[in-house]
Amino acid sequence: MEIDNKTIEQLITEKHTIALRRGFSVWPRGEFGKPPALGDFRWTADLILSTWIQAETGKPPTNGLEYRVGASGGGFDVLDFKFLPEDQWITNGNLIDTSISLNGRPYDKKIKISVPWYGGGMSYGSISDHVMLSRVRAAKEWGTYTSSGEGGYPDTIVPYKDNIITQVATGLFGVREQTIQYAPIIELKYAQGAKPGLGGHLLADKSTASVAKIRESVPWVSLFSPFPFHSVYSVEDHKKHLDWIKTINPAALLCVKVSTPTDVDMVAVGSFYAGAHILNIDGSYGSTGAAPEIAKKNIAMPVEYAIPKVHKYLVSEGIRDELIVMASGGIRTAYDIAKAIALGADGCVLGTTELVAIGCTRCSNCERGRGCPFGLTTTDPELSQLVDPDWGMRRISSVYQSFQFQLKDILRRLGLTSIRELRGRSDLLLYNKQHPSNDKYKMKKVSKPEEELRVEESVTDSVVE
Amino acid sequence: MVTLSRNEPEYVRYEIKIQPAPDVIPFPSRFKVRVKKHRLAGLLLKELVHYRGQKEVVTSRPCVYGVFSGPVGGFAPREDKCVGCLRCTTQYPEMVEIFRNPDRENLGDSHFTREYVDSVHYESQSGRVPVRGAGYRGKFGGEGWDGMWTDMSEIVRPTRDGIHGREFISTAVDIGEKPLLLQFNSEGIMVGETPHCLTIPIPMLFDAPPPSARTRALTEILVRSATETETLCILPLPEILEFSIRNRHVVPLISLSDRDKLSELGFAPSMIEMEKWDENLYGIIRDQFPEAIVAVRLPYSPGFEDRLLMLVDHGVGVFHLVGSYHGRGQNGEFVRDLISAGHRALVAVGKRDRTTLIGSGGIIAAEHVPKAIICGLDAVALDTPVLVALQARMIGECVDWNNNQFDIREVPVDWGVQRLKNLLASWRDQLLEILGAMGLREVRRSRGETGRAMFQEDLEIEAFGEIEGYGD
Ligand code: SF4
Ligand code: SF4
Repeated sequence: MEIDNKTIEQLITEKHTIALRRGFSVWPRGEFGKPPALGDFRWTADLILSTWIQAETGKPPTNGLEYRVGASGGGFDVLDFKFLPEDQWITNGNLIDTSISLNGRPYDKKIKISVPWYGGGMSYGSISDHVMLSRVRAAKEWGTYTSSGEGGYPDTIVPYKDNIITQVATGLFGVREQTIQYAPIIELKYAQGAKPGLGGHLLADKSTASVAKIRESVPWVSLFSPFPFHSVYSVEDHKKHLDWIKTINPAALLCVKVSTPTDVDMVAVGSFYAGAHILNIDGSYGSTGAAPEIAKKNIAMPVEYAIPKVHKYLVSEGIRDELIVMASGGIRTAYDIAKAIALGADGCVLGTTELVAIGCTRCSNCERGRGCPFGLTTTDPELSQLVDPDWGMRRISSVYQSFQFQLKDILRRLGLTSIRELRGRSDLLLYNKQHPSNDKYKMKKVSKPEEELRVEESVTDSVVE
Repeated sequence: MVTLSRNEPEYVRYEIKIQPAPDVIPFPSRFKVRVKKHRLAGLLLKELVHYRGQKEVVTSRPCVYGVFSGPVGGFAPREDKCVGCLRCTTQYPEMVEIFRNPDRENLGDSHFTREYVDSVHYESQSGRVPVRGAGYRGKFGGEGWDGMWTDMSEIVRPTRDGIHGREFISTAVDIGEKPLLLQFNSEGIMVGETPHCLTIPIPMLFDAPPPSARTRALTEILVRSATETETLCILPLPEILEFSIRNRHVVPLISLSDRDKLSELGFAPSMIEMEKWDENLYGIIRDQFPEAIVAVRLPYSPGFEDRLLMLVDHGVGVFHLVGSYHGRGQNGEFVRDLISAGHRALVAVGKRDRTTLIGSGGIIAAEHVPKAIICGLDAVALDTPVLVALQARMIGECVDWNNNQFDIREVPVDWGVQRLKNLLASWRDQLLEILGAMGLREVRRSRGETGRAMFQEDLEIEAFGEIEGYGD
């Protein structure tokens, strides 16, 4: 039987989708308090709820939710900015530029992105194509990029290839001459922060017929990405890899994604001399995929430590301006982005933030059963329907808008007119071990409207790049 | 050199057989599910009207894990199935609330926190490596093990064989007294000082349980688990005698008062541990059991490094450094730094390679094993994790050997053995992950390799040292 020309399946999806979206909107307003089991030290309930608000409104919350820092007691969560006295703030927000270039070399194509971030690799198979579409459409709207992850291109995202970074990872899943030629940027993934040195693993349940087809594998069989590239055992081999990509797509910019070992600074220099345009250092505290718990906390350093190490070493080698450093692995907020840049990155790579924007509660059940119950990290045909790509795109895009707004606000309060001026300005940071945020794991109730945080409205009109 | 059991000429890959060992004592669910039933009834009625009686639509539930799929659905949620995804409460804020279960949250104590209990519980139940999505959720760093990260290499592998090279990493360690070099005469026969050590295939053994937790079943579980995993378990001599244990995987723990009972031991142990140093008793043990390796238990008292060196001069080659269950020495310092201090003291006098350091206290998670080894241990003696794996509950703070209270029930021995085998298998696999990421082929090579680790205090000063407010 059909109701309003809708099948039972459509009605079920509609019922749940409407209720879920209402929940994403209602919870952050505070009338029910905060979900008692939501959040953790890194992504507190406040951060998750404030990301949901930003995804809806395009602005940071004004009801007292802490949207800038988590409660981890270290790293970005103990850093603040040394803002100028108010009379020295820049008043005209239109003067403030958040764009960065992704090529610091004197040769090859110049690519500029309007905001200092792009989307990190999440493969088809680890997420649904609806989520992929949401991300890439938001990237297109903002003139930035999103990485394909290691899984190739489902047909639906091919039309957006100009805003996609093709990832070449150790399993070479979904990598073809064609997909290398598609993209303006090619990313060689040596390692990833959440499982450094361990390779990747797509569980059999997620390797559906369509996923397997693109990966040129057998459906319903676990897929391992070995670690590392078995063709790379030296910087010379690394250069050979980059040359290989350049031969297939001479116009592409080359990005090298690495983890954060003790010698991450040497790795950076090695990648520069091998010909990389972009180095993506991926710290151990982020990531969206499933990883052994032991790897997340214990192997390789957090990105907050790796950024200044790499930055200072590149400066001392006289090559800082030629290599773009993108930081990832635990970037949650606009403030994290600004702090990463002040520590020495050019920009950041976002992953979890985008998933939280479209409903992730950080419950860590991505690999369980049918996959994510919110339809994010799943290829289950029913669950995937919970994310409509247009809705997803609008949510992610709104978070981008809010982040850009906040970055401009930070810059103007620091007296800077460009995000590029902030790079390496750790002298503008304050270290605050007693940061009040660190008591907030057991978080306070959402405040009433009269306690609203004042947000400067003068820079709400974003600068069109 | 004594090898405990495997003397097969051909290569046999070491393996611990795992199989599920579900709880025998009910374990509290992670979450509590509270449904406002009148609101649920109201919603169902509303939906019945809205969807014109379409049962499939009306009864379609938000939970994909079956919490609301019992005979009466949301009116009697099956909490044990709840994984805390929060989809139900996100969808129906006015109707469903999900709480962390306080009974679960309160497990463990201030050192062995609920998160660690959860890990050990999962590991001993399944034998598998805990894997979860969505990144790290905990504190940034912290004291002791929390302020330490191990290194990785972007390109170096333990070997070029196998998918990850991990399959060929050796986790075997030697325990005993070793000469710095071997000498051979012109006929190729070893002359001079010979090694006096045994090899265990994993750098983990079982420490003696505290007196408050001892049961006959526990003793049997420890002995069998050590035997089946080819490692060792330390047990007090009176207990060995009481239960007539004769097993070379058992390390008798001898106190001064046991001196006269030594002769009652019904087997020649491969290793003996002295509860505390006594020159006279050491001599007696050496005379009576010339084949046995003799270890001395040494607490981290102030200046323990001097005592360590003094005992090395007396010919002791194996030490069991003992911290509190909370990982502290007697002056409150964390064992991480104390292990390093002991290791460095031996390196400084050129005696480290002759000596074996076993350590216990505060090592309660898989990652603590490689970290402790990197700080300078050869092997780890597991204490409280064994009890937690066997579903013993901590009552209050379990601080050390004398100050603790465990609620330990009688459990089936076969089940207990499997739980401990699962725990060791899981911890060994996790050790392999760490070694594989570092590109190391042998756990022995990570001993004392602090250059392959990163310490928060060093990283912090390098990264943030110039930032205003740092060090205030
Ligand atoms: S399963 Fe949980 S953590 Fe994973 S994507 Fe979905 S909501 Fe996020
Ligand atoms: S929180 Fe998730 S698993 Fe628990 S009852 Fe709700 S929907 Fe089910």
